[in-house]
Amino acid sequence: MSLFRRILPLITLFCAVSCMEYGPAQEETFATDLSHRGLFIICEGNYMYGNASLSYYDPETKEIQNEIFARSNAFPIGDVAQSMTINNGLCWTVVNNSGVIFALDPVTFKEKRRITGFTSPRYIHFTGSGKAYVTQIWDPRIYIVDPDKCTVTGYIETGMDFETGSTEMMVEKDGYVYVNCWSYQNRILKIDTATDRIINELVVGIQPSAIIKDGYGKLWAITDGGYEGSPYGHERATLVKIDADNFVIEKTFTFDYGSTPRGLTASGDGKTIYWINDGVYSMDAASETLPAEPIIEPLGTIFYALIVDPTNGDIYVSDAVDYTSNGVMRRYSAAGNLIDTFRVGINPGNFCWREAQ
Amino acid sequence: MKRTLLTSLFALCGAFAPLAAQEHWWNDDASYVTQITSSAIVAERPLGEIGQQKSVIDSATLHLTVAQSMADILTYNSSVFVKQYGRGSLATVSFRGTAASHTQVTWNGMKINSPMLGMTDFSMIPSYFTDSAAMLHGSSSLAVAGGGLGGAVLLNTEPTSTRGWDLSGVFGFGSFNTYDGFLKLNYGNERWQTSTRIAATESRNDFTYRNYKKKEYTYDAAGIPNGSYYPIDTNRCGGITDLHLMQEVYYKTDGGDRLGLSAWFTHSVRGVPLLSVDYRAGASYNNSQSENTLRAVAGWDRTGNKYILSAKAGWLHTKQGYDFERDKGNGTMVSMVQSRSNINTIHGSMDGKWFPAPKLMLHGQMAAYQHFVTSTDRNAMAMNGSKIAIGYDEARFESSLYLGAKWSPTRRLGLSAALREELYGDKLTPLIPVVNIDYLICDELTFKASGSRNYRYPTLNDLYFLPGGNPDLKPESGLSYDAGLFFSKTFRDRLSLNASASWFDSYIDNWIVWIPTFKGYWTPRNVLRVHAYGIESKAQGKWRISRDWMCEASGNFAWTPSINHGDPAEWAPEAIGKQLVYVPLFSSSAVVSLAWTSWKLTYKWCHYSERFTTSDNDITTKIGRVLPYYMNDIVLEKRLGTKAGLVSFKLAVNNLFNEEYESVLNRPMPRRNFEFFIEITPDFKH
Repeated sequence: MSLFRRILPLITLFCAVSCMEYGPAQEETFATDLSHRGLFIICEGNYMYGNASLSYYDPETKEIQNEIFARSNAFPIGDVAQSMTINNGLCWTVVNNSGVIFALDPVTFKEKRRITGFTSPRYIHFTGSGKAYVTQIWDPRIYIVDPDKCTVTGYIETGMDFETGSTEMMVEKDGYVYVNCWSYQNRILKIDTATDRIINELVVGIQPSAIIKDGYGKLWAITDGGYEGSPYGHERATLVKIDADNFVIEKTFTFDYGSTPRGLTASGDGKTIYWINDGVYSMDAASETLPAEPIIEPLGTIFYALIVDPTNGDIYVSDAVDYTSNGVMRRYSAAGNLIDTFRVGINPGNFCWREAQ
Repeated sequence: MKRTLLTSLFALCGAFAPLAAQEHWWNDDASYVTQITSSAIVAERPLGEIGQQKSVIDSATLHLTVAQSMADILTYNSSVFVKQYGRGSLATVSFRGTAASHTQVTWNGMKINSPMLGMTDFSMIPSYFTDSAAMLHGSSSLAVAGGGLGGAVLLNTEPTSTRGWDLSGVFGFGSFNTYDGFLKLNYGNERWQTSTRIAATESRNDFTYRNYKKKEYTYDAAGIPNGSYYPIDTNRCGGITDLHLMQEVYYKTDGGDRLGLSAWFTHSVRGVPLLSVDYRAGASYNNSQSENTLRAVAGWDRTGNKYILSAKAGWLHTKQGYDFERDKGNGTMVSMVQSRSNINTIHGSMDGKWFPAPKLMLHGQMAAYQHFVTSTDRNAMAMNGSKIAIGYDEARFESSLYLGAKWSPTRRLGLSAALREELYGDKLTPLIPVVNIDYLICDELTFKASGSRNYRYPTLNDLYFLPGGNPDLKPESGLSYDAGLFFSKTFRDRLSLNASASWFDSYIDNWIVWIPTFKGYWTPRNVLRVHAYGIESKAQGKWRISRDWMCEASGNFAWTPSINHGDPAEWAPEAIGKQLVYVPLFSSSAVVSLAWTSWKLTYKWCHYSERFTTSDNDITTKIGRVLPYYMNDIVLEKRLGTKAGLVSFKLAVNNLFNEEYESVLNRPMPRRNFEFFIEITPDFKH
């Protein structure tokens, strides 16, 4: 008996230092000011860490709120948050490696709807006829979803296979949706939203990573040119101007070998095109040559993504810092003067404006 | 079928039961108590271990239960950090605040680190396939291999002294539809020893857990949400099927020569569990890895009056695959990722120790490895529509030469100095010096110190992986030293204590880190300068309380700051001066066992402090914290000794306090679970 008395304190000690703090997160209440515009910053997090997050910035008050999804809903948004689109009063947030799209209330950030059943979703685009398209990587099909019922209703077959199939960003013009095919691909698809079928495709160069529409109705795509040693080929990155009506390349601007342009975006009136190539560059959409100098000089850090305020031309550049710590947002005036700097989540890679009401 | 199997097992045990008798867990002679201290007494120390910081794990610990991997063993019996990605998933080991690739691992003298990744998956090494294991900390690892900036783990099988036939078998079953089996057949005589081992594990590994990383909603009759809850989820895609076969043959001559051959084959198919934040339906996906590995080592050694010579030749073949497939919705699985790698390594080594004087040893060692690696990560569609595999096909020759001298000029003092030189491909590392000293302060207390340079050259994936491999990488270089006190004492053959505490300090330059690129792939770069320092301590004791009672205890503690001192211009200023990601500042473990006659209760405990998941060590985050980890397991054993042999029953309770926890972010671990084992060792001599 005395032996048990001797070892009892030891057992008690083990028990005392054995309780782990693990469990549900605290739920917080948000009520953002509807009279202010706001910027959602979609932070990818690290692949396979599940530490993606959303941040929300009020340009008027310069107030930043981080991890708003997790704080509002008391669970994390998932692995690799990719993009957000606001439609019908909801923020549709695509979480790539969690295979889910969450629809959030833009004021409280509470989850309102959820769509699952995807392989690896990237972007969602609403066609205006009660349906939306969702692009994928590792899956050649573009998913057609019913956002009201939150169901997958069909697929647009692209002719690619599952190993190399990749569809990415989408823009719509005159009833047609244009999709860039990025990973180990080289083309833009043209989809008739009336029939949900691909009616044409245009080869633009190796790995078109982004597509936007300018104020003149032209499409712009950036190709990253692949990588050295790729069996798919390696070439200079390009900025491609596309005549959407005739679906032909109007002009190709070629970057220096080794450049990795990214973050393609346009001003509010669509007359100026912006991108990152170490520094931040801008170009008149009617220009015939690439600009020689950046409007924002590189800082020796990692400019990761870019958005322009459509109302005043302020430029927001995200900095991935070292990819494994919280990112930094830098807000510049249209002339390139620094206005504000604030911390956000890990790898801020995409943005979405919420307009004032 | 399962019922039949169990019935048969119990019937077999029943045959032993009538003759059951008490059987102690320990030998009745005093050596069982004193054996843990004898090797630490400097007067009797082997010259080869002068100044070495070495931790030995005995076979009783290794063979506690058949379900344990070496990852489990090291978690509870050392202060190294074992990073486990889930039950039955990848488990890596790192010493002293370094990375998993800074741990060199040898099996019967042959390095088994993957030449592609540089690290070793300890979850794939069953502890029953290891007869002795040791850890060489820091500079001490240079005695066996270069590149162990943190240390080295030595795994060995050993010939038994069997006369005639020996057979033992273990059968186990447990939670999550887990079945384990192990069979060992030995035969031996004066010259020959053979051993055949088979181990098999099958587990659905479909444990359930409360998923705090997801929420489900409840709705009222009008379809309006009126509540929410955290669902009970199942570990998806986590199934395990492992088979290990090992054959050993040893032959001993009258002249002191010993020849040996060990061959170990592994076949494994394991699921790669989905993250707890993954909303994809596990049933629609196959996310699995497969491995077929053969490791074979043939060796010769000879012990003369003034020399010990040995030579080894080995072959390592590994075929690994990773498949990520999904159901298209019509029952047809389509492949999205299909990675394949094929590794063949030919190994040769020679080792010689010469004792020209009683207190002097000269040591030479040469090892060579020729790797042939083919790796394809996925298929791409070429411009012409044909499919092309993306990967690399490379060969690399690596060799290492070691020359050293160990001298004990007085009874109290031991000195050692050595040089190692390594070649990889057509590149030579700079010369690697290592010095060791130990000094007997008193009969119970020894001071040991060492200092060295060390280099770890890039792995084949670091250099050639497509896309992202960086052929311009420099080797990581380390400068380290350590010093410590080692205490050892036996009290009246009833109580023995063994304890040590060491300070270590190392600087590692050009630390290789894989970082993302803007083109969607990752690439390695030399980016960090790391200062890793701290304290390692351990204690071990055996107390023979009375004739029928025995208590054994061991504990380990490490404080391992591993600080990023990268160049702020290259790296994030917020990360400078911060602890490295996934390196705990504190780790500790303890095992206490109490035996009474034929009963034995073993209590295992381990702790890791918070592991940061961001380089700026953000603790304000709600989503990225891996909080301190405490784990408690127990094993209760009962032995029945009979004239027909020995039967033992073991009940293991893992996660005793039913904790909900993660070891790695968003990778759930199982709550309390049970395993039951029956071990049968027939006695053919009666």
